[in-house]
Amino acid sequence: MNIASIIENHADDRVAIIDGEERVTYGELRAWAASIRQLLTERGIGPDDRVAVPAGNEPAFVAATLGALGVGARVIPMKPTNPLPELDRKLASIRPQLILVGEDAAWMHEHADGITAPMVDLRTVPRTAETSPDIVERDAGDIAIMMLTSGVSGDAKVAMLSHANLAWAQAAVCEDSPDGLGPDDVALAVLPFSHIFGLNVILLALLRQGGRVVLQRRFDVADSLDLCRRHGITVLGGAPPMWRQWSIVDSATDAFSTVRIAASGAAALPVSVFEDMQERHGITIEEGYGLTETSPIVTSSRGDAKAGSVGRAADGIEMLLVEDDGLPVDVGDAGEIVVRGPGIFEGYFDDTEATEAVLTPDGWFWTGDVGVLDEDGRLYIVDRIKDIIIVSGFNVYPAEVENVLLEHPDVRGAVVVGTIHLDTGEAVVAHVSGDVDTDELDRHARANLSRYKCPTAYHLVDELPVAPTGKKIRRELR
Amino acid sequence: MTSTLPDFTFETAPDLPGSERVSRYGLSAVRRLVHKLWDLTIEGQENVPSEGPAILCPNHLSFCDSVFVPVSLRRRVWAIGKGEYMDDWKTKHLFPAFGMIPVDRSGGEAAQAALDTAARVLDGGHLFMIYPEGTRSRSGNLHKARTGAARLSVRCDAPIIPVGHEGTLDVQPPDQFVMKPGLPVTVRFGEPMHIRDFGDPDDPRTIRPFADAVMFEIAQLSGQKYVHTYAGAEDEETVEPKVATPVVSVPPGRARSPKLTAAAS
Repeated sequence: MNIASIIENHADDRVAIIDGEERVTYGELRAWAASIRQLLTERGIGPDDRVAVPAGNEPAFVAATLGALGVGARVIPMKPTNPLPELDRKLASIRPQLILVGEDAAWMHEHADGITAPMVDLRTVPRTAETSPDIVERDAGDIAIMMLTSGVSGDAKVAMLSHANLAWAQAAVCEDSPDGLGPDDVALAVLPFSHIFGLNVILLALLRQGGRVVLQRRFDVADSLDLCRRHGITVLGGAPPMWRQWSIVDSATDAFSTVRIAASGAAALPVSVFEDMQERHGITIEEGYGLTETSPIVTSSRGDAKAGSVGRAADGIEMLLVEDDGLPVDVGDAGEIVVRGPGIFEGYFDDTEATEAVLTPDGWFWTGDVGVLDEDGRLYIVDRIKDIIIVSGFNVYPAEVENVLLEHPDVRGAVVVGTIHLDTGEAVVAHVSGDVDTDELDRHARANLSRYKCPTAYHLVDELPVAPTGKKIRRELR
Repeated sequence: MTSTLPDFTFETAPDLPGSERVSRYGLSAVRRLVHKLWDLTIEGQENVPSEGPAILCPNHLSFCDSVFVPVSLRRRVWAIGKGEYMDDWKTKHLFPAFGMIPVDRSGGEAAQAALDTAARVLDGGHLFMIYPEGTRSRSGNLHKARTGAARLSVRCDAPIIPVGHEGTLDVQPPDQFVMKPGLPVTVRFGEPMHIRDFGDPDDPRTIRPFADAVMFEIAQLSGQKYVHTYAGAEDEETVEPKVATPVVSVPPGRARSPKLTAAAS
């Protein structure tokens, strides 16, 4: 198998990608990917070599990824913009044999002296080649994609996903049901392809089906709505900050009139956003749960969305909530989410210790997330296990405290972390943005939280550390 | 605060577990005996509603907790007890006659039946007592709550009354059959706690914070140190129903309990 083959059987003249005024058909995309294969072969790149692709959501990224996969290489999608120290750290961790640089990452050529791996400007690669090597056959467990994890927990790693991992997750969202992706679907690809949701669930899954992918390189709420209207978007995938913006736009209902699948992932979707989208635009957002390490499908709410829940375990996924000793939690209790299934990654690149810390030999992946199941098997995410604050032995989930603080009308944003405390072990500290009287906020907290959960200190800040996906980067405040 | 025998109203409930006659006269005798033999101090009795359902959640240190807490109440109370009492000739008739609801510790449908009975007690507007730790604490610490009480609270829309007591461990240490007379015992009832004050009762994420908050209040009432691990992982007295235990292997460096890790791997 080779997931580079997903576009091979679609009609030549069928449109695969729309980028502004440019349209790339499946025939053209195949030729472009073949040209990349030819280039890589000439450069001596073959099976298991590592090819980094720093690029935006641009057509060349798609051709480069499929081309590199086609020669059996491992592809590392990268954001087009990285601060130099971060770029250097990432390249040092993946040690690519070659870098295929997209248009949006062209600035990297000016930094060429600091990069040891050879770089190829994708703008210079011809879109067709007279001859090209065939797509290389790979084993199911061979690595296809190496994803740089977001590093929200403070320890960025490189997750290795096999051809079988990715193919399974694609099939999971494309199964033959009215709710699955199909050839007539048109997806807005605004989630970055350097994120597993944007890459595998939106881009690759839809290409597998022969659907049409409309690219948006940077999120802009007005532009995204224009694209929806213009192209009749049927599949809209977004991160919570995007959904928040879509939910508050008044004149967008016509833009969403063709949307039949609305999916949210990457971070917890606020219930208020779910409800606003339903009430204002008649759109039910289906929230799923997954991680880079799970390709990313773990749960799905498809056709059965409920506010606050990320849905039920996808077919083929075993999911349990456990104590840290591996025993299942009480009925209705919170526990760490552990999963096993065909999408579970092969491990972290070059980091056996990190792999063994989360992946057991019999295939259970310990996600580091705490969740709760309701009586119908629906999962609710509570928090990251690493973020739990222990006050006098009692667990405090930062998200619960943050939600209470956010209920105060003057609070714009809140991030809660733990700090060392001599008497109680740890204490709760709140970082808050907004025009807030901290004494009044403290009274609000004490009226709505158990005493041990109340912050012992409040810090007013202008901006809170929040990733573009909406995830709170708590380590920056510890 | 009182050390005198509180007024008592016997609530008739012929459809619920227990013998009406044994409960009425037996409980009356036990109450008088306890107040005569021990220096019992009761605090916060006004926090227990004089009518309507409520779930009493005491800390659990000694077998005699099941004596001192009920006799501190002005109302009849039903309680869950481990199913093994039904296998012992000394207890198999007496305890159910007093209204004990036996729970099958193997879990599953049998355990669910006990919780269903508890729900009937609450739905009938009565008091129900359950030890949230699920078993006696052998360490003396207050341990993490099982979720049964919190779930019953949601199911029956009944408040939880946290209860903290001191002195029962001296009266009857573990494995002692006889209760030592003359010692002081204090039972403190906290204010009623409603799950709606801790979040959306329909959101399953509210259960654990509610259960933890109950333990926090019990710790204030009992003066115990709280530890966020289950009581009795090693002993055999767990009375809260447990689900079956499919084993998930544990990555190195995660488990806190070497014994359980060994069992799981």
